[in-house]
Amino acid sequence: MKRNRAVPYLMLSPFFLLYVVFFVYSLCYAFYLSLFASQAGETFFVGLQNYIQALHDKAFWSSIALVVAFALMQAVTILLVALVLALLLDSPAVKGKALFRLIYFLPYAVPGVIATIMWGFLYSPQLDPILKLVASLRGGKPVDLLNTRNLLYGILNIATWEWTGYNMTLYFAGLTALPLEIYDAAKIDGCSEIQTALRIKIPLLRSIIVFTSVLSMIGSLQLFNEPLLLGSLTTIPSSYTPNLYIYNMAFRFSNFHYSATLSFSLALITLAASLLFLFLTGVVRFRRPSPAMRSGSAP
Amino acid sequence: MSTKPVASSTTQLQRYHHRRGQGSGRIVSGVGVMIFMLLLGAYFLFPLLWLLVASTKSTTELFSTPMLGLAKEVHFWNNLRDLTLENNGLYWRWYLNSIVYSTAVASGATLISALAGYALAKYNFVFKQTAFMLVLISLLVPGAALSVPIFLLVRASGMVNTYFAVIVPLLISPFGVYFMNVYIGESMPTELINSGRVDGASEFQIFLRIAMPIIRPGLLTLFLIAFIGAWNNFFLPLLVVSDPNLLPLTLGINIWVSTISASTNKIPPYPFIMMGSLLSVLPMVVLFPVLRKQIAAGLITGGLKM
Repeated sequence: MKRNRAVPYLMLSPFFLLYVVFFVYSLCYAFYLSLFASQAGETFFVGLQNYIQALHDKAFWSSIALVVAFALMQAVTILLVALVLALLLDSPAVKGKALFRLIYFLPYAVPGVIATIMWGFLYSPQLDPILKLVASLRGGKPVDLLNTRNLLYGILNIATWEWTGYNMTLYFAGLTALPLEIYDAAKIDGCSEIQTALRIKIPLLRSIIVFTSVLSMIGSLQLFNEPLLLGSLTTIPSSYTPNLYIYNMAFRFSNFHYSATLSFSLALITLAASLLFLFLTGVVRFRRPSPAMRSGSAP
Repeated sequence: MSTKPVASSTTQLQRYHHRRGQGSGRIVSGVGVMIFMLLLGAYFLFPLLWLLVASTKSTTELFSTPMLGLAKEVHFWNNLRDLTLENNGLYWRWYLNSIVYSTAVASGATLISALAGYALAKYNFVFKQTAFMLVLISLLVPGAALSVPIFLLVRASGMVNTYFAVIVPLLISPFGVYFMNVYIGESMPTELINSGRVDGASEFQIFLRIAMPIIRPGLLTLFLIAFIGAWNNFFLPLLVVSDPNLLPLTLGINIWVSTISASTNKIPPYPFIMMGSLLSVLPMVVLFPVLRKQIAAGLITGGLKM
């Protein structure tokens, strides 16, 4: 038995080795770099000076405000559409369910980069009949989804296109796991289809809805690919989103120390948001060893 | 649908009849709903259909013909040939890179996650709860948040422009560990491990010879999810590789896209962008009807237990 004690640690070691290098150490190294500054080819220690600068950096904080707003809009949009689709696919009103499930989920297999390229071209007014139609409805005023004011909605549409089917698949799976007896009981009590959906199905999906929404909001804070690629088709400020700002700080302005400062700050903010979520909801649970498992009987 | 029996007394057949509306016959304005579903279906298919049409056009046709209408002459094969010949087949080099990166990442991440998930699901040890917590925390921190710190590390260790820099950071998959932990807990009976021990097999032999064959469907699911994730990745390779011969597809195509804003007199290579984009999504989209079930089953197991 003595030999066995090391086994789980050995099995975990490849994962945690990478974890230490790329999660812990990379953040530590970014923090170390952030304590220095370069001027005229010389590097010198400045302590937390860079963080004081970041604290007063309006561009950084407005980029954070932008992604927070985006995260909320995206979570609500995707949540609503995905939920409605999942409920409809679970109701008797729709024919050809398997095909719809496939089509809605398909964008998951398309790289975000390609999705952005496709929509980016579709947004260009000389190409798009839909935008022309909208323009004629608005008295000939063209809609430019790529101008700075509308850009966020353009990106919102790309994100919706990409992730709605993914979330719908999860919700639909959740509905599939509910026992049918619940619906029979509802029917006896005289619930309509819509009442069943609102009063029974949605409440039972609560935990999965909370989890997917929060995970997608945390992901949205990292918004980068879409604005970077759309930057080739239109003008986008270099500090549009936090990650774009961090990227440009390193690669366009070659200020690696300040870039490290901002990326360490963003990682901390993300981590704080994640932990806050974890402790507030308690939705996420790891599978604790169940009695059945310990006694060795299989489910 | 699911890879494991869902705890309920409902059979597949009952559910089928429930969704067919048998018995109740109450339909929530069927026609309106179907129109809504079809419109959304069109929305999800529209960009892909447009890309397919656009790949058959020359640059001038792209801007002079209706977006979903074919031009008089179809230039699909011309575009394909030009793309293939461009820069001694650089595009196909990127394609090969993407296949190598994605296969390596998916295989490695699946194996590493399976080992870790197996340890968490089947052993009791002192730091188990701590290990759980650490995996959970990393699950909630998206890879993009770490991309620049990882780049700074890679840069300091002189590993920029290597296969290593693209592949190794992606081998860490918190979702994979979480997923394998749930999957192995559900599908692998502990008594099989015990009987293996009685037969004198070592713990690693039990993992390789007994556990691996049983959890194969779960391994395949994770492989597919990791493969798609790596194939679609953009941020990290953008930071750590600049050598044109080492780029994955997403980055290579981005090079062409970025020439659109460049203030040169050269016309951007639109046909390359369209054809290159189409070919990069084609295998996955064509295989998706087959892969969907496997992926959905995995998401369900991983997702529902949260």
